Amino acid sequence: MATSVLLACGLNDQKLPGFVHISEESNVDGSFLISCILGQRLRISNAGTLLVCLQHHYQHYFNAGMRLGYNTNIFQGKTLNVIDVLSDMASEGLSCKWLRNPDGLTLTEQLVEDIRAQVESNYANRNSYTILIDNLSILFNLGASKLQVQQFCQDLASLAKERDNLTVITKLSNSDIYQPTDNNVAKLGQVRIQVVRLKSGVFREVDGKLLIERVLDEGSYACEEARKEVLYKVNDRNVKVFTPGEVGVKV
Amino acid sequence: MLSNLLVTKQKVVFIIDELNRERIALRFIDSLLHEQGQEAGTIKTLPIGNLRHVSSYEALLNECGNNNNNNNNQSGEAADFKSGPTTDTGTSSTKAEYNIILPTLADLLCYQTPAYIFSFLNRLRRSEHVRRVFLWASPQHLQHHHAQYILAGCEYLAELILRLESETLLSLISRKPGGGVSNKRYACRITKTEFQVTPLDGPAAVGSPKQPSPEADQTAEPASSTFKIELDEDEVVARNALTLPYERTSEPAEGNIIYTPDADDDFDDEDPDEDLCI
Repeated sequence: MATSVLLACGLNDQKLPGFVHISEESNVDGSFLISCILGQRLRISNAGTLLVCLQHHYQHYFNAGMRLGYNTNIFQGKTLNVIDVLSDMASEGLSCKWLRNPDGLTLTEQLVEDIRAQVESNYANRNSYTILIDNLSILFNLGASKLQVQQFCQDLASLAKERDNLTVITKLSNSDIYQPTDNNVAKLGQVRIQVVRLKSGVFREVDGKLLIERVLDEGSYACEEARKEVLYKVNDRNVKVFTPGEVGVKV
Repeated sequence: MLSNLLVTKQKVVFIIDELNRERIALRFIDSLLHEQGQEAGTIKTLPIGNLRHVSSYEALLNECGNNNNNNNNQSGEAADFKSGPTTDTGTSSTKAEYNIILPTLADLLCYQTPAYIFSFLNRLRRSEHVRRVFLWASPQHLQHHHAQYILAGCEYLAELILRLESETLLSLISRKPGGGVSNKRYACRITKTEFQVTPLDGPAAVGSPKQPSPEADQTAEPASSTFKIELDEDEVVARNALTLPYERTSEPAEGNIIYTPDADDDFDDEDPDEDLCI
């Protein structure tokens, strides 16, 4: 269902890079990437996944997963753990820890604490562990400053460096608006996927473009990078990718 | 090599990167220092994980002082950097030679205020246990509201300002202790392991009395030109050796006049003007 898009992004392997950042431009929706990656990680046996829901409730990811052919509820509490910030806020209101700032911790610091706690309890039992953050720009809406978001990502990156086989995947919406933040987060990782709209406008057969940059080798004075560009179309139950200029794109 | 230009006696080196290479900033500076034979033990950095606490910055300064004192077999208390060079014993043997590579300006600003960063940079500059300080800034990564002002402040404190303008061009502003300032531009060729620079014949030293001559301006080749106007030595020799088609292939041995006499020609060996009685 989503293998081709992950193959294009180089995220279909069992072992992922330590830090992957997805930049989503305004007016495009790259949330299919999170759903695709989540499904792929859940299918790998004994691979732990932590989903930090900021953009949607957990129920949304369950629904999206069902459309793509996997059931997150089967894995929840086993290989899948969830930090559902929005549901907590909805159910607990202002007494929710995300809004209360207990112990003087900010929202981002509290999140790091919770993520660390989840990793401590689950990482040892798994062959690999993936932390999915969807998405960082919601933190701005919840009152975090740009610097706090940058610190949050640096803490996550250091967490990924501390452990082998631990991958952090972040997504930032409106990356064109938060360009410096986007650059600062992207530099922490080896893979950057930019989801951009078509310059020519809306096209019914293609939803947008994926620009994939992967750092192959960091030299002393320059980086060796691989760049790839593919077009994508999100259908009801799958995602299709096309090479730019490919003939025979049909509905 | 770029390291020849940057690893000099000037103390504060500020690198402005327009190419978005912040990811390799530390490695970049480290390579420059190693190219110039600076030992790993003399290079000190501030880990990003420690930037949150002011004590880490103080510890770096104290560490330089303590190591220096230990190296010189001096027992006793650590040097007080806050008071600057006046607390030093004044002997040249106590001077340490540490190269400090600071985290990038974007990372520093993430944890500390601009005022503290300026203050810390100034203290490093004044410390005589520090030989050089390197600071890297990528404008695309600065998200502070007053990023331009902060960049200008760092430029003011720096003695060498390297601006990586493009993949093939850089500029270097150098402030010498005597007050002279020069601004030079270089063409560069960057590979993963090498950074080669070539001076460009551009505008000469800023603030120096020597001005470029008009002839020099005329002969100067613009950096972006695709034409090569000047000839090197081999090309001059080749040009001089080339014989063009309209030139004689061989020089005559002596000058001859070829003339076919007419029947009416009167060739007389006598002087034709003897009747004039001159």
